[in-house]
Amino acid sequence: MTSSWFQDPTLLAAMLGALLPFVSFVLIMVFTRPYPKVSAAISVASISVSLVCAIFLLSSHWHLEHPIQYAGKWLISGEMYIPFGFLLDELSLLMLTIVAVISFLVQVYSLGYMAGDPGFARYYAFQSLFAWAMMTMSIAPTMLQFYIFWELVGLASYLLIGFYYEKFSASEAGKKAFVMTRAGDIAFFLGLLLVLLNFGNLNVLDMNSVDVTARMSPGLITLSALLVFGGVIGKSAQFPLITWLPDAMEGPTPVSALLHSATMVAAGVYMFARIFPFYSNSASAMAVFLAIGTITMLLASTMAMVTRDIKQVWAYSTVSQLGFMVMGLAAGSYFAGVFHLTTHAGFKALLFLCSGVFIHEYETNDMFEMGRQGGRGLKIPMVCMTIAAAALSGIPFLSGYFSKEAIMGALANMHNPIWLVAGLLGAFLTAYYSFRLIFIILFPSKIEKVHHAEHGGHASGHGHDAHHHAGLYWVMAWPLIILATVTVVLGFFQTPLENFLVGGHHGSGHGGGHHAWLPWVAVGLAVSGIGLAFLEFGRKGASQVGFVERVEPVRALFAERWYMDHFYRLFLDYVIYGIFSNLFTRNDRRVIDGGIDGICRATVGGGWLLSFLQSGMLQYNLMVMFAVLALVALYFFF
Amino acid sequence: MKLWMLFIPELYFLLTAAAFFGLAMLARPNPRRDYFAALFLGGVGVVVALACVKLEGTLFFEAYRVDLFSQVFKAMLSMGFFLVVCLCTELNGIEERHHPEFYLFLTTCTLAMMMLVSSVELLTIYVALELSSYSLYILVPLRRGHGIDVEAGIKYLMVGASASAVMLFGLSYIFGVTHTTYVVEIIQVLPSIITTPAAIVGLLLTLCGFFFKLAVFPFHFWAPDVYQGAANQVTAYIATASKVAAVAIIMRMVALSGGTSAYLVDVLVTLSIASMTLGNLVAIVQKDMKRLLAYSSISHAGYVLIGILSMNTTGYASAIFYALAYLVMNLCCFLVVVKVAHDGSDLKIAQLAGLHRRSPLLAMTLMLAVFGLAGIPPTIGFTGKFLVFTAAMEQGYIALVIIAMINATISLYYYILVVKAAYLLEPDEELPRLAVSMPTKVLAGVLVTIMVVFGVFPHHLLEVALAAARVLM
Repeated sequence: MTSSWFQDPTLLAAMLGALLPFVSFVLIMVFTRPYPKVSAAISVASISVSLVCAIFLLSSHWHLEHPIQYAGKWLISGEMYIPFGFLLDELSLLMLTIVAVISFLVQVYSLGYMAGDPGFARYYAFQSLFAWAMMTMSIAPTMLQFYIFWELVGLASYLLIGFYYEKFSASEAGKKAFVMTRAGDIAFFLGLLLVLLNFGNLNVLDMNSVDVTARMSPGLITLSALLVFGGVIGKSAQFPLITWLPDAMEGPTPVSALLHSATMVAAGVYMFARIFPFYSNSASAMAVFLAIGTITMLLASTMAMVTRDIKQVWAYSTVSQLGFMVMGLAAGSYFAGVFHLTTHAGFKALLFLCSGVFIHEYETNDMFEMGRQGGRGLKIPMVCMTIAAAALSGIPFLSGYFSKEAIMGALANMHNPIWLVAGLLGAFLTAYYSFRLIFIILFPSKIEKVHHAEHGGHASGHGHDAHHHAGLYWVMAWPLIILATVTVVLGFFQTPLENFLVGGHHGSGHGGGHHAWLPWVAVGLAVSGIGLAFLEFGRKGASQVGFVERVEPVRALFAERWYMDHFYRLFLDYVIYGIFSNLFTRNDRRVIDGGIDGICRATVGGGWLLSFLQSGMLQYNLMVMFAVLALVALYFFF
Repeated sequence: MKLWMLFIPELYFLLTAAAFFGLAMLARPNPRRDYFAALFLGGVGVVVALACVKLEGTLFFEAYRVDLFSQVFKAMLSMGFFLVVCLCTELNGIEERHHPEFYLFLTTCTLAMMMLVSSVELLTIYVALELSSYSLYILVPLRRGHGIDVEAGIKYLMVGASASAVMLFGLSYIFGVTHTTYVVEIIQVLPSIITTPAAIVGLLLTLCGFFFKLAVFPFHFWAPDVYQGAANQVTAYIATASKVAAVAIIMRMVALSGGTSAYLVDVLVTLSIASMTLGNLVAIVQKDMKRLLAYSSISHAGYVLIGILSMNTTGYASAIFYALAYLVMNLCCFLVVVKVAHDGSDLKIAQLAGLHRRSPLLAMTLMLAVFGLAGIPPTIGFTGKFLVFTAAMEQGYIALVIIAMINATISLYYYILVVKAAYLLEPDEELPRLAVSMPTKVLAGVLVTIMVVFGVFPHHLLEVALAAARVLM
């Protein structure tokens, strides 16, 4: 294998694509940190090559017979060896391409958004770190490698959320995200260990084969599936670990677009899909997942209905859509979940990037403020954002419509109609909160023409600045246009994608045909959601107060995120700090520290004692020498 | 191929010695000239030794064997010589008019040790060993008037002479039971009679001479005083190159037993444990950097013995690897000692305070080297310890490995004290930055790179060590 790696274009592309961002990370951190322009150039160049590699891989393996796997031994310990390499199959190729595309667009966009930031080089280093970790994770052949890079992705996320670390709330949010996802990851790792111990192997393909049922008992499979799903809960911010994601919006907006909507949080769903057959072995675990997905989706939708912060809305929406994907997968439709992941990555990244333009322009996150300052003046972002919001709401014939219909179809196939009802309710709420935001910015109750300095006032004096600013605007606008195009056309690729992912053997998922009434109902609900939003926020003289906001307790409940953070706080204060930390600290002080101190004192004392042996007396030294020799010789005779 | 070509590395060092002899004859001392001459000759010496690695054959009536084992060690020795010479930019510990003599005896010592690793006849071994020892006996008191140097020199001589006497006694026993002085013939006879008292005592007493070189308990008494008393560069040489040669010859002698004597293993285990424990415990209370390194070397002698007493290919290979690792790590430590105490004085650990500000590079070199000595990954020291312990585990010496690991933990204490001094303590008064010349920076960089790279990717080096060890079996 080592001799031919450069002859095999597939492997070469995979290696190049996955490793270059890492090289760029190291280069930036070690050499070019003082030079922001060079750093950005290195990072963007490496992600461009990765993008080309990813697209090459996807297109050259469009008709993949069976998965391609490359693995080299990395660690060997006794019987077990841990391979390290690449697994290229339909799912990983698709994910690789999604990550590469969004990363590339976001990095280009960031050239404008982050311009002039003192941490510009550091930002690109972290972006590269993320790209490396995420891409290598996508094509990991074993769950162990998957887990390692999963954690690295978490690290990149922590670093990027806390990017403005001098801001207290940002560093707090970074910590919160890290700790909460870790909580899920512990379960994930325990689950992997359980599989490793009982199944003996963490290879993705082996875990997905039927061998698992033969070698593990059903109860064990359910337990390990539930534990492994803990990782999904943490990473994809599912119930009950929802609240870190909205807080993670403290990071720069492009980061939110890349990590906290399109790719990293979707990693949880990707992991679900990655070992989907493994999960499918346990019906009861799947039922639990379905419930978790549903609860998450509804809870997050309600939260999105009352917030005034534009990024928070999209964050809640992300959580809710991730819950929706989990529902689709848990309902048994592999394709529906993955398809929604793909379309969602496109339109949600678009939503965030558009919001970023507004935030950059008006330096506020408050959507009412944006509307007041004339947000609708920014034509391209406004149009793009409306397209994306429509896709999110499931308006035909945008990408979101197709993928949502696929999931609805899967839910409709379930015996219990409650899941479908919940899904439809979610669709209604989604349409409502999305267009609440759009209408607030588009039709503010009054517009104050507070033009920003860069636009009017300074134009005459600083022609260069204005020109520079326009350049930045276009750097940011192009990724929007590309993503909007993707959002518009991606839905029409449903059939080829389905053939690619699921192949000839039809999954149980595609149920749209059986329920001809379903699209009408779903679209009807979405449109009525938009209509309600228009009544309350859009029409002339609207009060701009939503129906939930009129009932104070409900508004408070939603705005306080169902008091989840309060519960966490209480739990931490009373259970963790009050009981465990307290006891362990005492044990640490008394038993461990005391014991160690004793041992250390004894050791140092021994040193002093022995050092007396080493007196300067030569005769004495020689005597010891011969005495020891004599003793050793004597020993032979016993 | 002519027979004399097998002898090229030794001939080269003989010529080098002659060159320094000539320089010593000149009337006017010129340290720069001597230094550059030594640097050039040493550098060429490394190339010559590396070029001769593949040679094989026997010389001098079969008394002298050139094989991969010996040539690998010769390469290491010449490298050690060269690197020690690199430390001699400011040879302030020795009077200027004695510099040529210093290089002369350094060269003869290297030559002697090269012959030592190739000798396969008992008397040749003895002569080579004594030649190297005599060179060192002279080098130690060469230090510019401290008084302590003479004491150290005499102590070294006395302990060395006693060890030699014991060794000669042991050699006579071996000759008595086997009727030959040729290792090749001994190795056929000795294993079958290794259980007889005369044979085993003979072998054991013979080993004493080499244990003295390696500073294994109870022949370690010279080490702290000599390390402290000798000039820093001489100590560096004793601590690195001479240890490597000792490891080589001990391996050759232990291989004579054929691995069948439980008694020999017991003795080696005892000495190994005693060396480690004594070295580590006493090192804790040291205040002088060189004394600390002396005790550290005593404990490392114990670790190397673990590899040797496993008496299989992996064990010998791990010991070879460990010797090389030790050479590099110790040279790093002495590089820092020499540069920080550039007036040639002894270095107290407290004097390292604030080193990270005075010279970040040296502080980092010291930290990595010390971590390596403690066995912390990803340094070469960790890999060395790992290999040695693995070899012992293969033979089932679990208790020994556990004791060694406890010892490694103890050693961490004083090693970290050194790092703490360099990084966390601030000096009482502000000291100027250390001027580190470009070659020194390059040298430190190369040594650090070797430590880290071979720590992470030991594979190729281990292959060479395995090939060399197979020659012994």
